[in-house]
Amino acid sequence: MRKTQRCAVAVLPVLALALAACSGGGGGGSEAAAATDFSGAPSGTMNGWAFDNADDVGTARMDYAAGQLDDVTIDLDQTAFDSQKFTTRIAGGDVPDVVQMDRRFVTTYAAQDLILPLDECFAAHDVDPDTRWYPFVVDDVRYEDKVWAVPQFYQPPAILLNKEVMDAAGVTDDQIDTSDPDTLLAAVTAMYKESSGVPTTLGFDPVATGQAGLWVLATGGRLTDDEGKPTLDDPANEAGLDLLKQITDAQGGFAKVKSFTDSFDTFGEENQFVADQVGAQVNAQWYPNVLSPYLDSVQLAAVPFRGADGEPFSVASGSAFVIPAGAKNPDAACAWAVELTAADAWTAAADARKATLEENGGLNTGLFTGSPEADQAIRDGYVVPTGNAGFDQVVSTYYEVLDYGQTFGSSPAGQEIESELNNAVTATLLGDKSAAEALSDAQEAAQRAYETVVGGR
Amino acid sequence: MVQLGAEPTPVARVDAPQARRRTGRRFDRREAVAGYLFISPWIVGFLVFTAGAMIYSLVISFSHYNLATNTARAAGTSNYSQLIEDPRVATALGNTLFYALLAVPLEIAFALFLATLLNGVGRGAGAFRTLFYLPKMTPVVATAAIFFLLLNGNSGAINQFLRAFGIEGPQWLVDPMWIKPSIVLMQLWAVSGTMVIFLAALKNVPRELYEVASIDGAGPVRRFVSITLPMISSATFFNVIVLTIAAFQIFDSAYLLFWRDQSNSSPEASLFYAVYLFQQAFRQFNFGFAAAMAWLLFVIIMAVTFVQMRFGSRLVYYEGDR
Repeated sequence: MRKTQRCAVAVLPVLALALAACSGGGGGGSEAAAATDFSGAPSGTMNGWAFDNADDVGTARMDYAAGQLDDVTIDLDQTAFDSQKFTTRIAGGDVPDVVQMDRRFVTTYAAQDLILPLDECFAAHDVDPDTRWYPFVVDDVRYEDKVWAVPQFYQPPAILLNKEVMDAAGVTDDQIDTSDPDTLLAAVTAMYKESSGVPTTLGFDPVATGQAGLWVLATGGRLTDDEGKPTLDDPANEAGLDLLKQITDAQGGFAKVKSFTDSFDTFGEENQFVADQVGAQVNAQWYPNVLSPYLDSVQLAAVPFRGADGEPFSVASGSAFVIPAGAKNPDAACAWAVELTAADAWTAAADARKATLEENGGLNTGLFTGSPEADQAIRDGYVVPTGNAGFDQVVSTYYEVLDYGQTFGSSPAGQEIESELNNAVTATLLGDKSAAEALSDAQEAAQRAYETVVGGR
Repeated sequence: MVQLGAEPTPVARVDAPQARRRTGRRFDRREAVAGYLFISPWIVGFLVFTAGAMIYSLVISFSHYNLATNTARAAGTSNYSQLIEDPRVATALGNTLFYALLAVPLEIAFALFLATLLNGVGRGAGAFRTLFYLPKMTPVVATAAIFFLLLNGNSGAINQFLRAFGIEGPQWLVDPMWIKPSIVLMQLWAVSGTMVIFLAALKNVPRELYEVASIDGAGPVRRFVSITLPMISSATFFNVIVLTIAAFQIFDSAYLLFWRDQSNSSPEASLFYAVYLFQQAFRQFNFGFAAAMAWLLFVIIMAVTFVQMRFGSRLVYYEGDR
């Protein structure tokens, strides 16, 4: 190799590194906009991201908010939120002013200083978070005594009942009681049907991995401590997993239950209630909307999910608006997010939903906004008897459980805690590990994630 | 009369070749510069997006990178020691290695089988080739959605088919023992890229060899083993290396089937190395550790490829070799 070639080989990596470093973006939050107390008059262009699939409710609220901010040009990117994209956008300095994301992501980003605390935003707009939203909704986005997002929606879970399946098996509503495992298991077994070892009707679909947090918290467990550290190996968490295992084992085992539920036509005409594939199922508040066109084919009822003390219990996530560190127009972003969650915005949304239902048909099950004032106003003004007593009882049940809401707990490792809990549930229900072993492994991984996030500040 | 210039001086005779060499060197240099200029877009792209990114990731792997401030503080070798301390790394590596050992031979065998079938087709060969190549053109997301239905343990078409023969199929996507085979099945669906390389190699095997072997009494199996396999060994070797590297980097199939969201059931058996790397980087913002993971994978792939090159090349027949 000649001298010049050797030199070139030596210089190339340095040049490559220099070029790569130069293209390294805008420096994330370090180039954040000047500190703001959010009290400036909203103006200029506001860039929002992750407003995908806005339905009539979303569109009406956005129209309302735009109408309140005449001096602001709103430019929305209507693609879905993606954590990788968010990360790279911040690293590249391409920071939107406001982002819509699931509440479980919020504290992770807060702990990384990737988003701004919004206490001053609320103060500037005379909003008291603890009265505008349910306390358990605000607690989802509260970390280190600061509120990091403008929350929206709280769609609680309850247990939807398929009365045809229940009546055929001689099971009554009061037997679907998650606080009384023996009675529940007897009812589940009575309704369960199989053909050649394959389930054809589940007595009760507990939605084990999708609602793992609900089962653990309702049976007396806890996912995080007050500081947000994971507590998955708390022995109190085992009760929820053990009960789930009993329920799935009584119906052919988790593998068969999972494969069966994966095959449900959840949003279609042959959904699991129409096809009598479930006697009871844990569902969030929005699912009765899916079933409302099929009320001629199904007889529905609902019971609350009950905690170990026998009282109704609900826990649910929702979405929220955050303002990233480095946002160029945080004042407008704050004002816009606050307007979107104002009572009048929800009224506009309720009007839009009413118009949609009048045009397309369907029943009004209300909107579960995350805000007690808006929820009550919409229930009083828009939710009327449907003529189907069972469906009206379903709607009432979801409103009833609102008063028993709890937060999952706000943690910098929230996503990992949820993911690890699901892994623990899967391992336990498959029989790979005992609940204690699975939760211990999950705790180890979640703790590592927690320390990574907190230690990286 | 003196004829000036008719008889070149000795000095002039000596200078002429040197001048030609100098002119030649200048021409060579100009040609080289022009060549480099022509390929400079690729060079710049390579430096920035490949070499630069690799070196940058090596730097990051020795640091704790903070996304909020775009700063990195020195971490020494702690990210690399964490590779040993974190049990999930060993789990992910074990899963990936097992998958590679299962997937590569099956992909080679299936691709060769398809290529052999296609090679025997006379009329309509083009249509068949297009048909066989279509799965490669299908987006992975669509393929995953189809396989999610096909592999359902209760109602999936594969188990329905097995049930017709009295066989109770496994719970492909739930039972940890069958998760890796289910992903291998999904990969086999898109094996047509490998198949095309085999097909090209099969087309290059001289027909005379088969004719002579047939005259000598060799049957189809003997001809395949003694003629086809040796003659396409270079293509096989290439495919083995490429598929091994791809197997170590398996990500999209596993991610789509098992890790697409937190509420999904994600058995530990589906945690592949690239999936865990992605989680570390983009869910936990542990970029230093993720970079160290990437470099470990790079070293492993390099080592495996080196071993394959060192020992595998002995079994390969190259037409130009003696």
